[in-house]
Amino acid sequence: MAAERVVVSERMAIWRAVLVGVGVLLLATGVGAFLTEVRPGDYPGVAAWLLGALVLHDGVAAMVLFAATVIVRRIDDRVPFVVLAIAQAAAVVAVIVTVLVVPEIVKQAIGTANPTILPLDYLGNLLLVLAGILAATAAAIVVALLLRRRGSRSRGTS
Amino acid sequence: MNLTWRLQRLLHQFRHALQTPSRTPRMAVVVGRLLAAAFLVCFATGIYSHLLQDPAPWMAFPTRPSWLYQVSQGAHITAGIICFPLLFAKLYAVFPQLFQTPPVRSFGHVVERASIALFVAASLVQITIGLLNTYQFYSLFPFSFRHVHFALSFVVIGSLAIHIAVKLPIIARYWRARDAYLDDGTLREGESASDPDVAFGTPDELQRRTGIRPDAGVTGRIFAWIDEKPTPEPPDRRAKVSRRGFLAAVGAAAGVLVAFTAGQSFRILDPLNLLAPRKNNTGPQSVPVNRTAQAAGVEEAATAPDWTLTVSNGERSRSFSYDELAMLPQYDAWLPIACVEGWSQYAWWRGPRLRDLVDAVGATAEAGVRITSLQQHSIYAVTEMQPEFVRDELTLVALELNGETLDLDHGYPARIIAPARPGVLQTKWLSRLEVI
Repeated sequence: MAAERVVVSERMAIWRAVLVGVGVLLLATGVGAFLTEVRPGDYPGVAAWLLGALVLHDGVAAMVLFAATVIVRRIDDRVPFVVLAIAQAAAVVAVIVTVLVVPEIVKQAIGTANPTILPLDYLGNLLLVLAGILAATAAAIVVALLLRRRGSRSRGTS
Repeated sequence: MNLTWRLQRLLHQFRHALQTPSRTPRMAVVVGRLLAAAFLVCFATGIYSHLLQDPAPWMAFPTRPSWLYQVSQGAHITAGIICFPLLFAKLYAVFPQLFQTPPVRSFGHVVERASIALFVAASLVQITIGLLNTYQFYSLFPFSFRHVHFALSFVVIGSLAIHIAVKLPIIARYWRARDAYLDDGTLREGESASDPDVAFGTPDELQRRTGIRPDAGVTGRIFAWIDEKPTPEPPDRRAKVSRRGFLAAVGAAAGVLVAFTAGQSFRILDPLNLLAPRKNNTGPQSVPVNRTAQAAGVEEAATAPDWTLTVSNGERSRSFSYDELAMLPQYDAWLPIACVEGWSQYAWWRGPRLRDLVDAVGATAEAGVRITSLQQHSIYAVTEMQPEFVRDELTLVALELNGETLDLDHGYPARIIAPARPGVLQTKWLSRLEVI
């Protein structure tokens, strides 16, 4: 048993060494490509994007989400847990879809190089998709509540 | 010193407040391997697309199936879109790690945290600029998209390999569900405790050091208020509901995004295409346009009555007028325009074969062709085509599109159309073909 663990960890050590080697090689390639292909004048812009991504995600989005989950946890008593879970999942889907589509709506409003780029009514279609998510959520909650009631009734009678 | 301990206490309280049933090493492994797969699909297809556009001299590419590039680049963009919910989920699962106490334990720990920061930042930027590029929202980039996207792809995949190496014991430990959870749904902690400061003795240690009760002060009270309603933990059945709900949300987000955008790349989903930046069958002759004749500044040259296509091979040279091209044997090809931005559109193309034209000036079977457009200011104004594409029977100098004379925006008087090549290399408004 102990011998088997040693064998496994040796294999793992080899894999780790290979992965680190490949990773360092790729990272060096990336840095090399960056230094040779990207104009030095563009470096501050790239740095600002990298830093901005961390600040926006970890500093803003994740914190807002944290606050939201704390609030949801407080209303946990008044609403069945499964309903909260479904509603939260739906909110996650709706927010992610919206975040991806909003820049599209903005760019369309600014204008595109020709009418075949961003040709659809993205605001209208986003609302349509969100309405669909809402409808699916409502249906899922109804089904979950029916199942729950049936579950508690069968537990009550038996 | 007191300040250090107070900071540490704050970080510890924060980490504690962030605990949820879905923030476990097992969840990080489950989501992480999906994200790694999506990243690898993006990387492989991205490199393929890059090499097609910028090949080494010895490279040869498959010309069949003719939809190869359509599918590879469609997969690139679709997998990139799926990366959004997966990356958000992965970062959510490991978010408490951001508040590790103590924040820095050793030099190696600093390197590890810095490399994670680079990995996360590069991943977020990579998929975001990729998405915005498909919207042609270039004004948001204070840099060249193409070069930065290329360099970051290696940074992301290299960081991924190193990250997997560092976390390999945890990944192996939690790879299978039955190894990860006990029967009552609690996580088997095993050798890789998810909470590195368990051994550290917090918060008792912190209270002893600082002399401050955990619920004292403004932050202490806030965290105490949060802790009044702790998140459900196994064996509480709700923890399982919460965990599954989390995975369902990630899956649903990916599903919704794919359903409503992938139609731009895959025709079967076209009826659901509500949100993609491109739509099938829009534009002149039912084919979308990336660059119009006006934007390319070729309207005058392309409609000039004395336009000719010059085909040369060293000293030998022939010029074909539009009528002469139309007199040559004409062939039909059902081929997609497949753009690097992920959209594609099938159409009927008609015109003489490229190989017939270059054979008229004595090209050999191993010869490539340098293609020059009337367009002046573009990195794609002059491109080269490898012999395997030149020789392909489906590679045409197209004069017609969907049964009509090529629209000016689609490259009138003549354009290249070849199988399994990126749209930017399907040169419009042809001017010269040189055998090389």
